[in-house]
Amino acid sequence: MDYLLYIGALICIWIIVCVAVNLVVGYTGMMAMGHAAYLGVGAYTAASLNIFYGVDYSLAMAIAALCGAVVAVLTLLPLLRLGGLYFGLATLGLNFVFFDLFHNLGPRVEASEGLHGLILPLALAAPDTRFATTLCITVVCIVAARHLVDSPLGRLLRATRDRPEAVDAVGKNPTQTKIVVWAVSGALTGLAGGLYAATLSYIDASLFTSTTSIAMMVFVGVGGLASTAGSVLGPVLLIAFTEALRFVGLSSQFVGPVQQALYGVLLILLMIFRRQGLVGRYDFRE
Amino acid sequence: MNTLQMLVVGLSLAGSYALLAVGFALIFATLRIFHIAHGTVFISAGYVFFVLHRVQGWALIPSGVIAVAAAALLGLAIDKAVYLPVLRRGGGMFGVFIASLGVALIFEAGFLMYTKGVVSVARTDMLDIMMVGPVAVRSIDLAVLSIVAVVYGLLYLWLHRTWVGIEVRGLTDNAPLAAVVGVNVDRTRNHIFLLASALAGLAGVFSAYDMGISPETGTRTLFVAVVAVILGGMSNLLLGTVVGSLALGVLTAYAGFFFPEWVTFGVFITMILLILVRPQGLFG
Repeated sequence: MDYLLYIGALICIWIIVCVAVNLVVGYTGMMAMGHAAYLGVGAYTAASLNIFYGVDYSLAMAIAALCGAVVAVLTLLPLLRLGGLYFGLATLGLNFVFFDLFHNLGPRVEASEGLHGLILPLALAAPDTRFATTLCITVVCIVAARHLVDSPLGRLLRATRDRPEAVDAVGKNPTQTKIVVWAVSGALTGLAGGLYAATLSYIDASLFTSTTSIAMMVFVGVGGLASTAGSVLGPVLLIAFTEALRFVGLSSQFVGPVQQALYGVLLILLMIFRRQGLVGRYDFRE
Repeated sequence: MNTLQMLVVGLSLAGSYALLAVGFALIFATLRIFHIAHGTVFISAGYVFFVLHRVQGWALIPSGVIAVAAAALLGLAIDKAVYLPVLRRGGGMFGVFIASLGVALIFEAGFLMYTKGVVSVARTDMLDIMMVGPVAVRSIDLAVLSIVAVVYGLLYLWLHRTWVGIEVRGLTDNAPLAAVVGVNVDRTRNHIFLLASALAGLAGVFSAYDMGISPETGTRTLFVAVVAVILGGMSNLLLGTVVGSLALGVLTAYAGFFFPEWVTFGVFITMILLILVRPQGLFG
């Protein structure tokens, strides 16, 4: 039962990440492939503030969200003038850069590769309360994201994606819009990173690699681009499926590779047959 | 460890990068396909070679030839089974890129299951080392570098003296126009994939023989080769990839000696800065 609650919390965290990724990839049409870096920034910030400075975890998570937003915007600014594939390539490169940063400079607890020993508040300490809290935060994030995409700002996002020159022509600033949505996306990812650290109770650099970013892309791609339902559907279906493999009795040594191969097959099938995903409303253009 | 010695290490790294990079650049420049799975082709040849030479105990040359042939066919198969269907159903450059990532993931997972993450070294004996003045040179490095030189010479002749080569250069310049004036794009495409993949296979055989390969070696090495291509630029394919690979080889050799923890960081920061400052490459 505890294990199911743990999986439930993980699914919720990935839903938040997918909502964040979908905001930039689906609604704004930017090929973001480096969100594992922001997830890592959030997780490392929340965990190290809590472990080394004794900051209360809910405050630490708020700071993690802030750091996620700041780092996201700082990494976006130099890349803004890149388009399409080059933007994707540069953000993919960010994963490797940040992996080395986490791995070489990230704080660690004595005699381990990463961070553990969080002091968690009651709401995150036990499996059942942790699941409930994570679920509540996820619902809040989903509702907030829905409001954002239905608001005038959301319309501006889709317009920036489809017709940037029209956005310019009516006196709005597409670059500014991109920066704003990127900050929101980074904040959500950073917050998810804080929850991720609390759920796993041990983090190290190997959790935040290009593979993680590719997994995010698979989740969002399968669920559906530019669709909140898609952001929820992707992680729910895929994580449930992988965990089902474990229950069928596949030895845990093979779960990782099988999952990875499955993601590969899904990516290929998606690109051939359904580029917008299951319930998506936008596809990988260009 | 003196400077000259590090230069030799860098040159031997550059050999594999150059073989991988020129094929990648060829495919990207002519067909606009960002072929991440080129690293998969490279590593697959390494594993075929490992299985034949080390596990089955075949002789060196036949295993190498079969591995290179397998790589060429694998490259062609990836194009036929994955890229063409994506393009036919209206996918663009980015769709092909993601599908290519998918191919890389599948193969990497397969190799991970086969090797359990252990490094596979295909050679069965020690490498012999010669002393040239103060510098130790391994005979395999000399072999690799001379083969790379021969390959580049042949590539130059192929691109400039044969009909297919001229068609390939035509595709690089202006693909629609080349098709209009009667270039058989499909046939040229097959040539390009076979040739580029065979070169990647050659690099894979060398890597498996020399330092050994592990499942993630493919994508990692490919990214270094991509950076080499971006550095050198694609307007002059052969010169660009040679210079880019040499620079990256020497850079990674030095960085690997002084800051081993930061090699990947250095390579990708270089890549991002290059994309920002000079996306057309040094000779673009």
